Amino acid sequence: MKVRFWGVRGSIPVPGRATSRYGGNTSCVEVRPRNGSPIIIDAGTGLRRLGKSLMEEAFGDGRGSATILISHTHWDHVQGLPFFSPLYRAGNKVEIFARQRDTHLEAVFSQQHDSPYFPVPMSAMQADMSFRELLEGARFELPGGIRISCTRLNHPWVAMAYRIDCDRASLVYCADTAPFADILFGREFVTTPPALDQPLPPDVAAELDRMRAGVVALAKGADLLIYDTQFTYEEYRLRPHWGHSHPDDAIQIARDAGVKRLCLFHHAPMRSDDDNDRILAKYRGVVAAQGDPFSLDSAFEGLEIPLGDQ
Amino acid sequence: MKIRFWGVRGSIPAPGPDTIRYGGNTSCVSVETRTGGLVVIDMGTGLMHLGNHLMTGAFGKGQGRASILLSHTHWDHIQGLGFFPPVFVAGNQFTVWGPGGSPEVLEGILEGQMDPNFSPLQTLKNFSATFDVRAVRCGLPFDAEGLRVTCREHPHGSATALAFRIDDGTRTFVYASDVGQPDAGAPPHPDAIAFYQGADVLLHDTTYRPEDQATRRNRGFSSYEDAADAAIAARVGKLVMFHYDQDYSDADVDELLASCRATLDARGGAAIGLVPAREGEELEI
Repeated sequence: MKVRFWGVRGSIPVPGRATSRYGGNTSCVEVRPRNGSPIIIDAGTGLRRLGKSLMEEAFGDGRGSATILISHTHWDHVQGLPFFSPLYRAGNKVEIFARQRDTHLEAVFSQQHDSPYFPVPMSAMQADMSFRELLEGARFELPGGIRISCTRLNHPWVAMAYRIDCDRASLVYCADTAPFADILFGREFVTTPPALDQPLPPDVAAELDRMRAGVVALAKGADLLIYDTQFTYEEYRLRPHWGHSHPDDAIQIARDAGVKRLCLFHHAPMRSDDDNDRILAKYRGVVAAQGDPFSLDSAFEGLEIPLGDQ
Repeated sequence: MKIRFWGVRGSIPAPGPDTIRYGGNTSCVSVETRTGGLVVIDMGTGLMHLGNHLMTGAFGKGQGRASILLSHTHWDHIQGLGFFPPVFVAGNQFTVWGPGGSPEVLEGILEGQMDPNFSPLQTLKNFSATFDVRAVRCGLPFDAEGLRVTCREHPHGSATALAFRIDDGTRTFVYASDVGQPDAGAPPHPDAIAFYQGADVLLHDTTYRPEDQATRRNRGFSSYEDAADAAIAARVGKLVMFHYDQDYSDADVDELLASCRATLDARGGAAIGLVPAREGEELEI
């Protein structure tokens, strides 16, 4: 399979000179099995250009089929969907998976098309669109022997990590998540940062440990781990209540899971290309100094990573 | 008045190497009054960058105030709000003027953007600044930071968008984004021309080339020809091009600019100045 990054940014798209090398589009990753339809992880603004590219293939004739895995429905992970051209072509088939919400997924996604916000109703999308609700721990197969599994992440209103096994290789996508250390996210709006380095109530600590173990198990031996590193370690210390992680934490997860390659992802909007270069160089040094058996990359728009059978 | 462009793009932010010169952020324009007051028009992604800039001044200390004029509530005109740092500083005061007919309806629409399914902010009530939402009444002028503002509802595809005429006593600035004549070949609407009449600066929607507009007229945007015709008919001093299609590269916008200039010259508007809105640039009126 082949992995290609179409959007690598978190929170909000950031066009401009300072982000033109890594890219300013919000989260979207394409996974292309050797035989089989594309699997798309998250539908940030990067999805728009991916859609244009897919229209050059079978999707342009209404003969395309795709699976979209949504980590969670925060704007930066869904805002590209109304601009995804294949959905407006009858005959295409698009299956969207996301974690179960209080209301049916289709109702959540159609809110994006409500008339005060968007001129085109969801009913104008003529593709065969279906919504599949998941709970953490779910496992399922796609045609061609592609196996998908998922686990819960530590993020406000719950995000899901996904693992794709295909073509004798595996990929794990972990965004968005905070470290499993200082705060357990649920449904509350947290106004002030929690005290750091303090013992947590035993039930909270146990839940975070369970969640972290789930992520490590999901990522066990993966050929590629894509991880939310919105923050630097110092930034995380100031904003532990925002639900995002940092490279030190990602590297520790990568070690514990024994992955072969780690990719920093979901860069903060104000992170310049030069900042990203510096962060990557620093942590490549850390990984080399520790003798870690995995390689380290930082995701940029257009980055392609072949995995397993081609 | 000093105008500054923070976002000039339509529909969806368009990051990438080929949108660097004009900018890829969605609609946001600031107007600084002669006495230092601040009026913001539209809250696209450009609003975040305006906010970061404002935090270095009074807004960083909770001593800022501004009026925000909202043309309509499509995503590309409100999606910067949750990323506007001054709303998270207690003491700052914002008055928002927009469509919806009533403050409750408009606030409800803005609240929908913060729905916990979509935003970690969960509700506008988590803003620390005062955020006073008011619905405009077309034909009834109101005061925004000492500027006199009137508005007009324009056709915009299946919806409508407000245009604003802003007067500081000596100079007039008109903001008319997201307007599109529903019928091909129709002359500019006389009421719209009356609304723009004699403005020192008319900022007008120029989303499309005429040939692209022809296949997408139902989307409710203007071509540069529509903008040039309106500027000529209303005898404005200067025309500002705005709200470029997300697929247009910098080279495409260069071409739009040259074609718009040629249209003005050919149709009797040679005396009208032409300025393409570019992120980060200022225009003194």
